[in-house]
Amino acid sequence: MVDRAGGLTSHPRRPAGSTSRTRLTDRRFAALLMLPAGAFLAVFIGWPLLQFVIDGFFKIAPIAGGPREFVGFGNYVRLFQDADFIDAAWRTVLYAVIVVTLEFVLGLAVALLFSALGNASRVFRTVFLYPLMIAPIVAGLLWRFLLIDNFGIVNELFTRVGVLHSSTDIQWLSNPNIALFSVAIPDIWLTTSFITLVLFAGLQNIPGDLIEAARIDGARYSTILFRILLPLLRPVIAVALIVRGIDAARAFDVILIQTNGGPQSSTETLSLLIYRTMVRFGDPGLASAMGTVYLIAMLAVAVAAILSIWRPGSEEKR
Amino acid sequence: MNGLEVRKLSSKTILWIILAAVVVLYGFPFVYMLLTSFKAPIETIAVPPRLLPSEWTVANYVSALSRSGVTASFVNSIVTATLSTAISLTLGLPAAYAVTRFRTRLGRFFIVAALVTRMVPPIVVGVPMLSIFRNLGLSDTSIALAVAHTTISLPLSIWLMSSFFEAVPSELEEAAKIDGCSRLGALWRVVIPVTSGGVAVTAIFAFLASWNEFLFALLLTAVRAQTTPVVIANFQTQFGLDWGSMTALAVVYSVPVILLTLLLQRHIVAGLTLGAVKG
Repeated sequence: MVDRAGGLTSHPRRPAGSTSRTRLTDRRFAALLMLPAGAFLAVFIGWPLLQFVIDGFFKIAPIAGGPREFVGFGNYVRLFQDADFIDAAWRTVLYAVIVVTLEFVLGLAVALLFSALGNASRVFRTVFLYPLMIAPIVAGLLWRFLLIDNFGIVNELFTRVGVLHSSTDIQWLSNPNIALFSVAIPDIWLTTSFITLVLFAGLQNIPGDLIEAARIDGARYSTILFRILLPLLRPVIAVALIVRGIDAARAFDVILIQTNGGPQSSTETLSLLIYRTMVRFGDPGLASAMGTVYLIAMLAVAVAAILSIWRPGSEEKR
Repeated sequence: MNGLEVRKLSSKTILWIILAAVVVLYGFPFVYMLLTSFKAPIETIAVPPRLLPSEWTVANYVSALSRSGVTASFVNSIVTATLSTAISLTLGLPAAYAVTRFRTRLGRFFIVAALVTRMVPPIVVGVPMLSIFRNLGLSDTSIALAVAHTTISLPLSIWLMSSFFEAVPSELEEAAKIDGCSRLGALWRVVIPVTSGGVAVTAIFAFLASWNEFLFALLLTAVRAQTTPVVIANFQTQFGLDWGSMTALAVVYSVPVILLTLLLQRHIVAGLTLGAVKG
C-alpha cells in the first residue's frame, strides 16, 4: 500500500474536477464539508469580533446589562490622547522585536549547529523540543523564580562566577529599565525551539550539491550562509517570523504572571492594558476601541510582512 | 544529510561541546524546577539558593495536591482539552480535506480566513464570548471553555491537516471510488486511515493548545470549570508566594505532556515543520 502510494506521487497531479460531469457537485460537496467549520468560526470568532468592534463606539457601564451610550469615535479620540495606550503600543512592538530577533538569531545558530553535526544530533533535537510543550503560565512562573533577586538561582550563579558582586545586583523584574527584556526571556526560552525546528527542516531541503559546489569554489562559511542558505530559506524564515511575531505581540500569560505589567507599567503591553481597562477599570467601551486598533495594526503588519518577504508573484513551489 | 555537515574531526568535537553546553543551558530551568519541587518548603526560598535539595521530600507535592480545587482543576483540564480536541477534529478534518482536494475559490478564501483568525488576540474575543455563553446558559462550564479553546485550535488543525492531505495522491481516492466508495466514504475509509499519523499530530496540538491555555480559562471560568493554569496563577495571589507548592503543581502539570512529546517526538517535529516548510 505504502509502496504503491509512494510510486503514485511521482505522477503529475490531475487537476481536480477535470471531469465536467462531476464539477458542480464537487464544488458543492467541498462547500458542504467546509460549512460546519466555517459556521463555527463565524459564530465564535466572527460574531464576538463584530460585537467587540461595535462596543468600541459606546460608553458602557461596567455592570452586565448596564446602560450603553453611543459616543461615535469618542473612545478613539480618548485613546489616542491616552499616554498609557501609546506607551503600551510601543512596548508591544519593542517586546515583539526583542523576542523575534533573539529567537531568530539563537534559533538559526542552533539549527546550523544541528546541520553541521548531522544525524548524530538527533537526541539533542528531542531535548530541544520540550519547552514547546510547557504552558506559558508555567514558564513565566518558573523564570520569575529563577530571576528573582535574593533566592533566585540566576543571580546566585552570576555571583559565583564573579560577574556580579552580590545576588541583588541585577533586579531583573523590579528594575523598570530592564523589566521588559526580562519578561521576554521565558517567551524566548519557550519558542526558540520552534524557530530551530522550522529552520532545520528548511536546511534539510536545500540540495547538498549546491553547497558542495560553493565549497569547491572556495566560498567561506559566511558567504555560504548569507549568499546561499538565507536567501533560499527566505519563505521558511518569513513564515516562522510572522507566526512568532504575531504570537509575541499577543503575549499575555507570561507577562501577567511575572510582573502583572509592573514595575511602573514598564511591562504593560497592549494585551495587559486592554485586560486591565476591561476587567479592572470597567471601561469596556474604551477597551474595545483599544482592541480594535490593536487588531487592525496586527493584521496590517502581518499582511505587509507577508507581501514584502514572500514577494508576490514568485510563489514558492512545493 | 546535506553538504552542511562538518567532516573534520577537530571542529566536530568543538561543535559537540558547544551543543552540549547549549542543551544543558536550555534544559536547566526545568531541571531546576524539578529539583526545587523536592526541597523542603522552607528551603525553596533559602538565601543563597542551593542546586540540590539537602533533604529530598515530597512535602510540596502533598501540600499542592491537597489544596481544595486542585484535583478538580485537573479533571477540568482533561475534560476541556479532550472535548476541544474532539470538536476541532470533527470540524477540521472535513474542512481541510475539502480545501486540499477540491481547490475551489471558496476553499482558498476559507483557508486564508482561517489564517486570519489565528491573528485575533484572545483578549479581543474573550469578553464578548463571555456574554454569548451567558446567554446560552453555559457560563462557567467545560463545554464553553472547550468551544473557546477550539477557536484557537481549529484554524491550526485545518492548516496542519491540509498539509497532510496534500501528500495523499488523489489516485488513491479515485481507486476507492471505482471500488464503489462514495466521496465521504473515500475520505473516511481511505484518506483518513492513510493520514492517521497526521491526525494524531493534529490531535496532540489541539490538546496542547487547550491544556496550556490561560486567558480564556481566566475569563470564562469562575469556580466549577476552572482549569489548572488558572489555579497555578492563583497560588501567588491568594496564598502569598508559596514557591514550593507552585513548582510541585507546575511539575505535575507539565511532566505528562513532556513525556508525551518525547514519546511522539518524530511525529511532532513533522507537524511543527510541515506547515512552514511546505508553505
